Amino acid sequence: MFYRVALWVPVLTGLLLAAGSAEAANTGNAGNGKLVYQRYCLSCHGAQGNGQGEAAEYMSIKPRDYRQGTYKWRSTPSGSLPLDSDLEHTLLNGLYGTYMPTWRALDERSRLDVIAYIKTFSPRFTTEKPQDPIIIPPDPGYSDASVARGDAVYQKYNCAQCHGAGGQGDGPSAHELKDDWGNALVPYDLTKGHVKCGDKSTDIYRVFMSGLAGTPMPTFADSLSSTDAWDLVHFIQSLSPGYAKNMAGTVASTTAGGAR
Amino acid sequence: MTRNGSLRVVLQLAVFAIVMFVFISPASAIPAFARKYSLRCTACHESWPVLNDFGRNFRDNGYQLRLGRDDAVTADPGYWPVAVHITPRYLYTKATNQATDQGVKDIGSGGVADASIDLLMAGVLTQDISFLVVPTGFAADGNVHLESYWAYFSRIFKNSDWLNIRVGQHEVDLPASGHRGISLTDSYLLYSYHPGVPGGNNLSAYDMGENQQGVEFLGHDQTSLTRYSVSVFSAKDSLGSQNGLSSPSVYGHFQKYFRFKDGPVSEAEFGAWGVVANYPTEFLTSGGAPIPGSGSKLQSSTRYGVEANVWLGPTVAPLHLDFVYGHGSDKKELLMGADRAGTWNGAFVEAIWVPPTDLLHWGIFGRYDIIRNQNQSLSTAPSNYNNQDQWTLGARYTIAYSIRDEVAFHGEISSDKVKGIGIGGLDQRVDNIMLGVDFTY
Ligand code: HEC
Ligand code: HEC
Repeated sequence: MFYRVALWVPVLTGLLLAAGSAEAANTGNAGNGKLVYQRYCLSCHGAQGNGQGEAAEYMSIKPRDYRQGTYKWRSTPSGSLPLDSDLEHTLLNGLYGTYMPTWRALDERSRLDVIAYIKTFSPRFTTEKPQDPIIIPPDPGYSDASVARGDAVYQKYNCAQCHGAGGQGDGPSAHELKDDWGNALVPYDLTKGHVKCGDKSTDIYRVFMSGLAGTPMPTFADSLSSTDAWDLVHFIQSLSPGYAKNMAGTVASTTAGGAR
Repeated sequence: MTRNGSLRVVLQLAVFAIVMFVFISPASAIPAFARKYSLRCTACHESWPVLNDFGRNFRDNGYQLRLGRDDAVTADPGYWPVAVHITPRYLYTKATNQATDQGVKDIGSGGVADASIDLLMAGVLTQDISFLVVPTGFAADGNVHLESYWAYFSRIFKNSDWLNIRVGQHEVDLPASGHRGISLTDSYLLYSYHPGVPGGNNLSAYDMGENQQGVEFLGHDQTSLTRYSVSVFSAKDSLGSQNGLSSPSVYGHFQKYFRFKDGPVSEAEFGAWGVVANYPTEFLTSGGAPIPGSGSKLQSSTRYGVEANVWLGPTVAPLHLDFVYGHGSDKKELLMGADRAGTWNGAFVEAIWVPPTDLLHWGIFGRYDIIRNQNQSLSTAPSNYNNQDQWTLGARYTIAYSIRDEVAFHGEISSDKVKGIGIGGLDQRVDNIMLGVDFTY
């Protein structure tokens, strides 16, 4: 008798699972996303989505204020809203060196739901459409020659003004920088072997092509050729053994929820 | 009193002691982590103290988020890796068919129960080496003991999560954690059950829910959806054998989680587990008392089983059903007066519901535990001797949680019925009502 009951449980579970395998939805449910937000994000980003959760006071790099629709890490051009897949990329990677954790242990449904919810904090998402993503050509591969060329590009575009000659974030302007929310901001130390959002070469590439909205880190998309941009990526990678080199990496995707 | 009668009293006292032990058995949740990472309890706990996917992965990763702010130097300087947990509570307990000098009686007692404190100390010593130390007790009896202490080395092979090693006193990787159970009055019967001869003794004190001293090998994929754990340890409460590892025992557990993008089931898990715990059956003695370390002729207590978990509705506010089944057997040499091995089946079904209300304040839970003996170790004993049924119903309302602390009302009722262990083969039942304030800082 006992065995028979025990046997039924997996069978019933199987039936329930079969009932659950319907067509998958691609966009999240903001209503459920609110609960996801309350469970995981509220302490930093705040109930109003203004980046002023109970923990924000104690952080030097403040949580994002969602109300302006300003997002730093995008595959889209400067001035554009991010794609859902960009936000998901941030959730999967976390932001290295800040308090923003990686949320890759959450199930995809929860991630999509919370993305739908945080978008409701900014009216821009109802009135504007994100632009097409920047095309990232494949990484030609890390080489000493490319690093040397990248060094020259770094000089030419005066990245050192903010990032310092050695990339340590100590350029002449470094101490005067503020973000759009009025918080002091230091250029990231590129010699640490990590950029904040992702460790793949494409993650570095998109930073100077899209620019980091809301920060002094500009876009160089108008002046920088893709060859120069890849050389610059390799130069940055040469600053620390921590960077994974020659990685094909994520390729920006045009479909929401696509890029992993 | 006859010899048999006094043994029965001892047995009844033991049941009482177990009940009392359950009440003081600590549950771990560690707000020091919430402070360190500025997360609320809800980030790691489905309903406190049961871990959710994020919490499980965090624990498997050695309490690290791996974004450059984990170790003692890079973490927030204000962070101090200590948390306190205590549950002041009113408790009413009624035990039926108890032996007294005035005959068999029901005994009820109530009051604000003696509470003990857990001091939870845990953190990251240096990248990929973390620790946990839990002194617990500090109650009226003045006793303090170390509930857990271990060091955890993660990613033994660089960048691979498939081998991590824990050394020290740890809870084996149970299908549902005994120390992180949501019920504060009832432990999982399946973990601690032992077959026995009426009035007799069992040399094996093996309790799956008890923390064991040994080494755990644990591996998982990046998000802890596929995991294994193997613990090699010296079984607790044994006088020890003569081997390099006294009372050598091994526990193993494998789990696989599945996720569903749509439909009523958002996540499901299946797993299998098993343990062989060895206890010596012969000793050298001194003045009649066994000499620790002199044991020999090891005999085994084995337990093995399967489990399934299903999350209905969104994982953020689920109805979580947990089913665990196990088969147990203790060799007859372990059981004084037995004429064969004692075998039994046990199971529990637990349901935890987090209603999808604003801020997820509620946790509502229920459980049914069942023990059925298969072969009584004394073949002439009644076939249902020591069979058990236990149910638990409860609710938690979190008044407040923040990145620093948590305080909740916790109420539950439970009832545990045991067949034939009273005088003259009477059944016994222990009922509990508990209302408490559970807080941790
Ligand atoms: C422990 C604090 C903390 C928690 C919890 C937290 N975040 Fe963040 N988050 C931050 C900080 C700090 C930043 C800003 C980092 C920066 O600008 O360098 C940020 C930035 C972001 C960004 C902006 C990325 C961009 O491109 O500008 C998004 C999106 C985001 N968080 C989403 C979430 C979501 C969704 C959750 C919950 C699942 C969450 N965060 C939980 C601290 C947190
Ligand atoms: C006007 C100052 C300024 C200039 C010029 C500038 N940056 Fe930046 N850069 C910043 C700041 C500020 C940040 C940090 C933004 C943040 O963390 O929110 C940053 C961040 C970065 C990052 C890290 C992004 C991440 O995900 O963590 C990279 C890579 C980078 N810059 C590359 C460059 C390169 C290459 C150039 C030259 C082509 C350049 N920057 C020019 C200010 C500047």
